[in-house]
Amino acid sequence: MKRHLALIRFALGSSRRRAGRTVSLGVALALVTFGFAAVLFLTEALRREFHLGAQGLPDLTVQRLVAGRPALIGEDWTQAIAGIAGVTRVEPRVWGYYFVPALAGNFTVVGVEADSLPDAAERELVVGEGRFFAADAPDEVVMGEALADYLGLSVGDAIELPVGRGRKRLEIVGLFRASVALWTADVLLMSTAGARAFLQVPTGSATDVAVRLSTPDEATVAARKIADLLPDARILDRQLMNRGYDLTFDTRGGILGAMLLPALVAFLVLAWDRLTGVGPGERREIGALKAMGWQTSDVLLARLWENLVLSFQGALVGLIAAYLYVFHAHAPGLADVLLGWSSLYPALQLAPAVTGGQLLALTCLVVLPFVALSLVPAWRAATLDPLGLLRGAT
Amino acid sequence: MNDAPPIAIRTVGLTKRYANGRQEKIALRDVTLSVPTAGFWVVSGPSGSGKTTLLGLLAGMIAPTAGEVHLNGRLITHLRDHHRALVRRNEVGMVFQEFALVTGLTVAENLFLPLVPTGGPPAATRAKAAALLERFGVTALAQTRVERLSAGERQRVGIIRALLGEPPILLLDEPTASLDSTNVERLVDLLASLRAEGRTLLATTHDQRLVNDPRVDGRLRLVDGALAG
Ligand SMILES: Nc1ncnc2c1ncn2[C@@H]1O[C@H](COP(=O)(O)OP(=O)(O)OP(=O)(O)O)[C@@H](O)[C@H]1O
Ligand SMILES: [Mg+2]
Repeated sequence: MKRHLALIRFALGSSRRRAGRTVSLGVALALVTFGFAAVLFLTEALRREFHLGAQGLPDLTVQRLVAGRPALIGEDWTQAIAGIAGVTRVEPRVWGYYFVPALAGNFTVVGVEADSLPDAAERELVVGEGRFFAADAPDEVVMGEALADYLGLSVGDAIELPVGRGRKRLEIVGLFRASVALWTADVLLMSTAGARAFLQVPTGSATDVAVRLSTPDEATVAARKIADLLPDARILDRQLMNRGYDLTFDTRGGILGAMLLPALVAFLVLAWDRLTGVGPGERREIGALKAMGWQTSDVLLARLWENLVLSFQGALVGLIAAYLYVFHAHAPGLADVLLGWSSLYPALQLAPAVTGGQLLALTCLVVLPFVALSLVPAWRAATLDPLGLLRGAT
Repeated sequence: MNDAPPIAIRTVGLTKRYANGRQEKIALRDVTLSVPTAGFWVVSGPSGSGKTTLLGLLAGMIAPTAGEVHLNGRLITHLRDHHRALVRRNEVGMVFQEFALVTGLTVAENLFLPLVPTGGPPAATRAKAAALLERFGVTALAQTRVERLSAGERQRVGIIRALLGEPPILLLDEPTASLDSTNVERLVDLLASLRAEGRTLLATTHDQRLVNDPRVDGRLRLVDGALAG
């Protein structure tokens, strides 16, 4: 124990003495850790966000495709689906995209039935500023904050938008909370009646049908029955969608991770260069230590401590920087790559969602190769004759 | 010959050949010698005659091409790395021609460096270090980094470090090369007192002050790697 403490003190002194080497390796280590950690933090947070959001999705969503394009669904479908065993609730929904030339982009207009309006507590969770729209007020809408900012609107303002030949007036009564921004960035939420008018969907028709099942695990069976009954139906399965998200994020995260591998390799090459450049001064030092009776293992242990401390410090700095970058600065640049979204989308408010195991694995991925690498040159020098080292032998 | 003194350092046919690329250099040829316990011997010889090589072999810091080294009756030539390090720590102290100090560390840190793997210097060693620093007039330099010292100051630090380990056998490579007469006198006094404690001393030197000192018991001469005379 005393031996280790003395060796650690010596090792810390050594890193201070070789400040140039220590700093450049520490910075490189921090950068590599930062890269991997930022990707990990962001993918995990987004994955969690999607799973949370997907919980609110219906078990099955049924759309109708005519000649490969989405078409309106009539009441006959709704009734047919309601008749299938295991279906507990069928809800025709009205939503769609509304193209805004000024934005060169789409709003997503979503209608909510008067009888399925969220309760007060739920509304509170969703709406940050202002209030939810009233069930019998087809002009009232709730929109995303970023979109409102972009349009220069705030709660209480009204806009008129062209619909068909006429124009439709919308009054902004509320803004979504930032915490649901990932889902609501481009959404205009209004009553079904308002959405019908806005999207010109006739009464009795719907954009799609949300289906709830008594046993959500049997979604595949129910989907099969619906497909048999209604051949031009397209059916979205929530559980499959969840898996799809996971796959997408794993793939994108994996690709980014793979893009970072060259950085890791470059770092290891730099480390190797810096470490094998055990300069004449350092060789003489190892020679002197061995000449005084240090064992090869003492020399290596001191070197191990020196590099363990250095690499943990570097990794810690990288982790903290990545945390701030993702969860406070909202990962500028990286989020675009990972999401492929336009800049209209708001800054992400992500909740940290990383496990200790992942952090540990990440740290080891960077620290272990470095520490292992660093021991080789020291070991090579430490096994030479001390007198030869003192004379500058190589 | 019952009362012949015990032998502290003995070599038999000691030979060292350096392979330098395609060239070979025989630095030491067939050296057989014995230094009795509590002897104070000096080895002189021209530059390049193999003096440092000889001491390096005696201290187990290089391996001989041929021949044997016995310290206090024990053959150390074929010891493994681990045990040779133990010999260097416990049995022989060496003062290096170029001091072998670690730059960036202070004088005090350098003095206690050999003790780091054992957990640092005990109080007795600290007291002894203070006394030796005092004796060689370098107390004021204890917290100075060694790269700021003059050659003579470094040499004294190297000597003090070797003495601190209280080795039974002390090898000194040109210990007076950078010392003024006062410090040569102090060193020889000290060496004489160590010999009186029963320690064995072997110094290499060019320095006539040392070679001719009346307290020296034995004189060897190396010429071109071989013992002369
Ligand atoms: N590592 C080495 N490789 C090749 N030749 C070497 C090596 N070390 C020493 N020599 C050669 O061996 C010979 C003896 O060297 P050594 O250092 O023992 O001499 P020395 O008597 O101590 O000289 P000096 O009085 O100058 O210190 C020299 O000719 C030297 O060039
Ligand atoms: Mg020499």
